[in-house]
Amino acid sequence: MAVTSAPLRPELGGASPAPTLPRTGVRWSKFRRRMITWLSGGTVVLLILLCFLGPYVLPLHPPVGGSVLNSALPPGSPGHPLGTDVNGNDVLSRLIHGGQASLTVGIAVNLIGLVVGGSVGAVSGYLGGKSDTAIMRVLDVLIAFPSLVLVIVLAQVLGPSLPNTIIALTAFSIPAVARIARSSTMKVMSMPYLQAAQLAGSPWWRILFRHIVPNIVPQLTNFLMLGMAIVIVTEGALSFLGLGIPAPNPSWGNMVYEAQQSMSATPQLVLWPALALLVTVLSFNLLGESIRDEVNTR
Amino acid sequence: MTSTADAQVTSPRSKKHGSFLGRTAGSPLLRLIIRRVLLAVPLLLAVSLLVFILLEAMPGDPARNQAGMDATEDQVEAVRRSMGLDRPAPERYITWLFGFLRGDLGVSSVSGRPVAELLAERLPVTLELVGLAFVLSVVLALPVALLAARKPGGIVDRLIMVFSMTLLAIPNFVMALLLVLVFAVTLQMLPAIGYVPVQVSLVDNLRSVTLPVLALAIPMACFYARFLRGDLGEQLLGAGYIDTARAKGAGIWRILWLHAFRNSSFGLLTLVGLNIGALVGGTVIIEQIFAMPGMGMLMLQGVISLDLAIVQSCVFIFAAVAIFANLFVDIMYAVLDPRIRYGSH
Repeated sequence: MAVTSAPLRPELGGASPAPTLPRTGVRWSKFRRRMITWLSGGTVVLLILLCFLGPYVLPLHPPVGGSVLNSALPPGSPGHPLGTDVNGNDVLSRLIHGGQASLTVGIAVNLIGLVVGGSVGAVSGYLGGKSDTAIMRVLDVLIAFPSLVLVIVLAQVLGPSLPNTIIALTAFSIPAVARIARSSTMKVMSMPYLQAAQLAGSPWWRILFRHIVPNIVPQLTNFLMLGMAIVIVTEGALSFLGLGIPAPNPSWGNMVYEAQQSMSATPQLVLWPALALLVTVLSFNLLGESIRDEVNTR
Repeated sequence: MTSTADAQVTSPRSKKHGSFLGRTAGSPLLRLIIRRVLLAVPLLLAVSLLVFILLEAMPGDPARNQAGMDATEDQVEAVRRSMGLDRPAPERYITWLFGFLRGDLGVSSVSGRPVAELLAERLPVTLELVGLAFVLSVVLALPVALLAARKPGGIVDRLIMVFSMTLLAIPNFVMALLLVLVFAVTLQMLPAIGYVPVQVSLVDNLRSVTLPVLALAIPMACFYARFLRGDLGEQLLGAGYIDTARAKGAGIWRILWLHAFRNSSFGLLTLVGLNIGALVGGTVIIEQIFAMPGMGMLMLQGVISLDLAIVQSCVFIFAAVAIFANLFVDIMYAVLDPRIRYGSH
């Protein structure tokens, strides 16, 4: 929502920060920011459409079960625009199916993180006192682990599969979101309108859902975009190590791993999943920054 | 999060702690350090307990693994007893904890060697990687950020920001492979895998760690540079002391270094401290790619071969490093900023 409203509010942002700049400079920087928002947002939408609808709409080869006779065809081969991998599978098809896995994991982990972590953080910040301290100490334990280390151990405990990858990754998503939700909640708690609501005798659930939740959503949305990037990278790392999406099912991570095995013969196979990860992570990062700028100027 | 915790520590409201610690320690700084260290101890205990519980939930039977595929039930039971796995879990946790405190980390079930011995072999490799990557990331970030902040919105600034944003979006394992592709496969300047100990040859040692260190340091450096550039830029726009320095006729480098960077160093310190954990965690995957015989690789092999003693110790040490890095940041804050020490902020 914040994304689409960005270009509709031209009166904000440009007018206040730097009155000494010439007007064209202000207009140019505003235009540039808007362009970045649209470009990154558009790329994200395009990626999601491509990965989730592509397998049904596009005439793609199956991502697995290729013939070794078609092994390592160069890009531009008939029927295989990006060529094939060592196992004779179509690279484009694997990229799109792998992207579907990565995006599914990213969206699921962040939704779970938002709902669970957001509620835990908001409740913790709202209650304050001893319960807040207790909740935060528990989260501290989870945050103390280097995220990849905790996720690797969890993934091995659960076994490699798509749902288990999602569960393992929520272990670091939930505490991170909870912390941000808590600090945002505490900021909102000190606002006059909240004290007014308390004085007016609003029940706790009304205060939480009418006053706190709507006001911490912008901060969380910004973090979620960065969270998407982080989760997709971590899922890639996990699958790269063979602990995430199990082969032969494609994921950008295990595609990088397979490409590493034949790096001197077919170096281009590393570049495709690397490019896919780069574009995705970059788009989510830029979109996150755009949303943050938008939230801050308000 | 730090600021609220600090407020608790030093605000006059927490009289109970103040009087207790006031007797034990005179200076506010020492009091704060003691308080921080005391908070870290239960955290470390909780972390070790969580690792233990996770490993309990690990699928597979370590005793059966150890005994081999065609061992009889009796043999498996004997191995189980010799590994101490027949005792109840709480007892084993306590045994492990006290063993760890004495420096006895148990025995690796796969190689049959003491974990402490394995760690002593592996630790220097990981320390070298992490240490060099840490220094390099900060050393790269500083000049780049200052150069970009010199003329906000200028062509140098734009180029640096676009370039760093792009590099930041490359995951470290992909960065590692791209580096291998360029410097090892194509240019054949550096070795693609393997580690040469420093005792063998310093030059070969440095050559063997160059690519893994770059793969770890480049994304971090971009992250720090972008943060620092943003923070410096904000100060150049609005801070009164910067305007004063400008009015006095100070040059841009002097303003950036003496006036703006000093303030930014706090934020940078926090960021660097928080990222020590990520840096250490990154060694797990980077050591695997470059076949570096370090702790990360030891842990990963342990996880895959269900070598509980190794995983327990490695994961605990990784987490402890991250905890101590944060502790160090908190203490450095108090050392650098008297307002936190005396609680008047």
